[in-house]
Amino acid sequence: MKMKIGFEVHEQLATKRKLCCDCPTNYRDAPPNTNVCPICTAMPGAKPMPPNERAVDAVIEIALMLGCDVVIDQPIYIQRKHYDYPDLPAGYQHSSTPIGVNGELVGVKIREVHLEEDPGAYDPVAGTVDFNRSGIPLVEIVTEPDMHSPEEARRFMRQLMLVLDYSGKVRPEAGTLRADTNISIEGGTRVEIKNINSTKGAYHAIKFEVMRQKGLIDRGEVILYETRAYLESQMITIPMRMKVVDFHVIPDPDIFPFIIDRAHVEAIRKRMVETPHLRERRLVKQYQISQAAAGVIVSERELADLFEAVAKQIDPKLTATWFRTRLKKVLNYMKLRAADIKFTPKQFAGLLQMVKLKRVTPEQGELVLRELVKKPAEPEKLLRKLGLAPLKRAELEAAVVKAIKENPKAVKDYLKGRKEALNFLAGKVMKLTRGRADPRRITKLLRAKLRSSKRRKKKRA
Amino acid sequence: MGRGTLEKLDAIHRGELSAVENVQRALEQIEKLDKQIKAFIELNPNARAEAEAVDRRIKRGERAGKLAGLAIGAKSNINVGDLRTTCASKTLGNYVATYDAEVVKRVRAAGGIIIGMNNMDEFACGSSGETSAFGPTDNPAAPGRIPGGSSSGSAAAIAAGMCDLCLASDTGGSIRNPASHCGVVGIRPTQGLVPSHGLIELSVSFDQIGPLAPDVYGTALMLETIAGRNPDECTTLDLSSVNYLDKLDVKIESIRVGTSPKFSELTDPAVMKVIDGAVEKLHDLGAEVVEVELPHLEKGLSAYYVIMSAEFFSATRKFDGRKYGRRIEEVCGDEVLRRIKCGDYISRKEQRGKYYQRALQVRTLLRREFKEALDRVDVIVGPTVPKLPHELGTKLSPAEMRAYDYLTSPISLAGTCAGVIKAGEVNGIPVGLQVQGRVLGEGTVLRVMHALEAVK
Amino acid sequence: MAEREKEIERSAEEIVESFVESAKELPELRETYYSQEAYNIVRPDGKPTPAAERAKFRKRFISNMPTSDDQGNLKVEVARWAEER
Repeated sequence: MKMKIGFEVHEQLATKRKLCCDCPTNYRDAPPNTNVCPICTAMPGAKPMPPNERAVDAVIEIALMLGCDVVIDQPIYIQRKHYDYPDLPAGYQHSSTPIGVNGELVGVKIREVHLEEDPGAYDPVAGTVDFNRSGIPLVEIVTEPDMHSPEEARRFMRQLMLVLDYSGKVRPEAGTLRADTNISIEGGTRVEIKNINSTKGAYHAIKFEVMRQKGLIDRGEVILYETRAYLESQMITIPMRMKVVDFHVIPDPDIFPFIIDRAHVEAIRKRMVETPHLRERRLVKQYQISQAAAGVIVSERELADLFEAVAKQIDPKLTATWFRTRLKKVLNYMKLRAADIKFTPKQFAGLLQMVKLKRVTPEQGELVLRELVKKPAEPEKLLRKLGLAPLKRAELEAAVVKAIKENPKAVKDYLKGRKEALNFLAGKVMKLTRGRADPRRITKLLRAKLRSSKRRKKKRA
Repeated sequence: MGRGTLEKLDAIHRGELSAVENVQRALEQIEKLDKQIKAFIELNPNARAEAEAVDRRIKRGERAGKLAGLAIGAKSNINVGDLRTTCASKTLGNYVATYDAEVVKRVRAAGGIIIGMNNMDEFACGSSGETSAFGPTDNPAAPGRIPGGSSSGSAAAIAAGMCDLCLASDTGGSIRNPASHCGVVGIRPTQGLVPSHGLIELSVSFDQIGPLAPDVYGTALMLETIAGRNPDECTTLDLSSVNYLDKLDVKIESIRVGTSPKFSELTDPAVMKVIDGAVEKLHDLGAEVVEVELPHLEKGLSAYYVIMSAEFFSATRKFDGRKYGRRIEEVCGDEVLRRIKCGDYISRKEQRGKYYQRALQVRTLLRREFKEALDRVDVIVGPTVPKLPHELGTKLSPAEMRAYDYLTSPISLAGTCAGVIKAGEVNGIPVGLQVQGRVLGEGTVLRVMHALEAVK
Repeated sequence: MAEREKEIERSAEEIVESFVESAKELPELRETYYSQEAYNIVRPDGKPTPAAERAKFRKRFISNMPTSDDQGNLKVEVARWAEER
């Protein structure tokens, strides 16, 4: 079945003030309608302040990261887009003419990138509005309908979120995404879905919608051109019954247009953050690491930054392996993001150095890493704290002898040819040495001892 | 209120008249006359207390400000915190202003006392003062006739001596038209000279706050007080301060005054005769009078109406009845609804090019023609309104009503400035001369008006 | 009401059409959207307004609301599509 899927994605930009007033943008913990003023609540006669420059520059930078051409040397207007909805205090939304055009991300064409303003937060069930959010600058990214399955749509959304996250220009808190999607399947009509708040939501909404539309077509029914809302709790879409309106778009006579010149674009390009897919490519080449490892490393900008800082100090391949496996595991286990990491690259490099010199086993290294994430300190110090100072050969031998002596049944089993008994004994030795011994050394020594005891037994016999 | 603005200020400064006394007299005058005239919708209950504070400052010898102790009326479309700012509409019948307009802040900082909110045409949609939801205003200078609009209450309040100065607004003629009919002085400043934060929109790209006053001195004084850049607004001009009073007395001998044959084509001959008399006076004062071309003057009005409607439609979308007030379409008067419908129609996507954008092209044309004319002369003088004010209650067609704006709306399109001063009377009814200046030519306009005022 | 509205709509269209008629012969020029030609009037990002300043506005804002809840939310209609659920 052929289908076309496109997105309009909105994310809040990370500014301190709103786009056209000086109200704060950190509305998370603010009581309703406290971060508001006459401008962002559309009191009669209130005029917008000049647009927040940081927001404009953020949109330019994001447009560049998405491979767009920035519209230069011609006026970009802040327009009024009119519609009647409780969350929209002025009855129109500020939306710029395109700032970026003709971009591309993972094979999906980016049609336009705009600067917009967030409306207030409307609770459609309770019938309440809180305008704390109203007027926060947004970047709007409009794609061509270039995706052909829910999975492709999900892949694009993930990658887009990653790019936005990388840019550092959007608000870092989760849940600021607002997306609309349009879907048409062959032989049908385009349907728009609003109220999507996550990549997962987008995937489920599209999946549901495709099934719904397919069902209609199979039954020979007509698909109406309409706007539907996605209900996250039930993972379904329902009609919004919005009147088809004309947006009566006019340039806002209260706000002068701006013109971006090439020099400004180039200045932003220079300081622009490398996009994740370009960085992945570079990491593979520069550090000779696997595609798979690079993919994991670039999944968070801070993770990639840390990787490069560490890889400059020690074997990049070892670093990549550790990032991909043990570090990722520890972070996942502790439910942390790379941005939460407090230890220094030097500390991590120090740990890898110990592993490399076989002063600690990889397993011990992981224990140290856990401590490092919890409470950063010099790895040497952590090693001592964990009681993981290197084991003397005599200590290990004593432990092996003790384990053999205390577990005659396992010894017998092993001598009878049950290999798994060796693992059991190794575990005992591990316990006795409190994990300080290298498992490979333990098994080696165990085997040797058991072999010689077998010989002794034979001799006696 | 009996004497000129300058003399009154002097009396206040010398302590012969206190701010409290002045405000008290204004309130008494309102009490006495306003049942008939209906120039005010709402009075400021704190006016007396504010006047007392000004008096204390004067007594202590502190700088009390340029407007110290003067009683100021504010048009009901200018937000004055905690007063009902209704635009004379049921839509905002219970809206209590949540903030002070920038000009109100400036007036207060200068020691002016806002005594109340003036009546007006509903949402400034009208040229007669009759569309107010609070009832029409009478013309104190020609009782029984309209005072003009939309700043009807402001001009009437000045003419009846109910306050010293007024903050009004002009979109297509709303200061100039009532100034002419009521025989008072007013000026529409250059777009962007006066900050408009707090002015409830009729048409943002034309709306300008400006003064109405009994004399040129008062007009210049108020304009000086409120003019100048507001960094928190996009569209104010980058001027830190202005000074008009110092040059008010400079003679006008070297000034070139333009007139246009177009004016007499569009104007009632009786009105034109008075205007010609005023031009003659300017000539006698030493000004050089020359003729200028304004080839498409008469095309301005309908283009103005189209652009204004599109912007008005946009501006009224916030009046959805949810946050404050009531939904505009449900309670507004005919003219307001007409403009909303008009704006709705022309700013639709498929109509834009034909109507809205076309009107914006005519705006370009008018700007060019006025610029060319004003490159040749310092000011262009002519009538303000093509006809005399009608009697209250006369039924006019919408087209006849619009015709009042024929000569004022082109200036709004041109983005220049224009003042109005009484030129004379026709059967006891005032006729105002419109003095049209260049961009930021307020100083010259005021000088010309001041010279004319002196020969009366 | 409907009668009045229709009448007003008609007069609005008349005005618009009379404009088209009167502008027929005029040259096609660049549109003037603003009274002045100015570009790139922006303001820097920076410290937001202090909470005390906003508190005064909040009181006035809420007192103008036709209805509000005790937390200071504006009360409006329940969305039709949500109502049907």
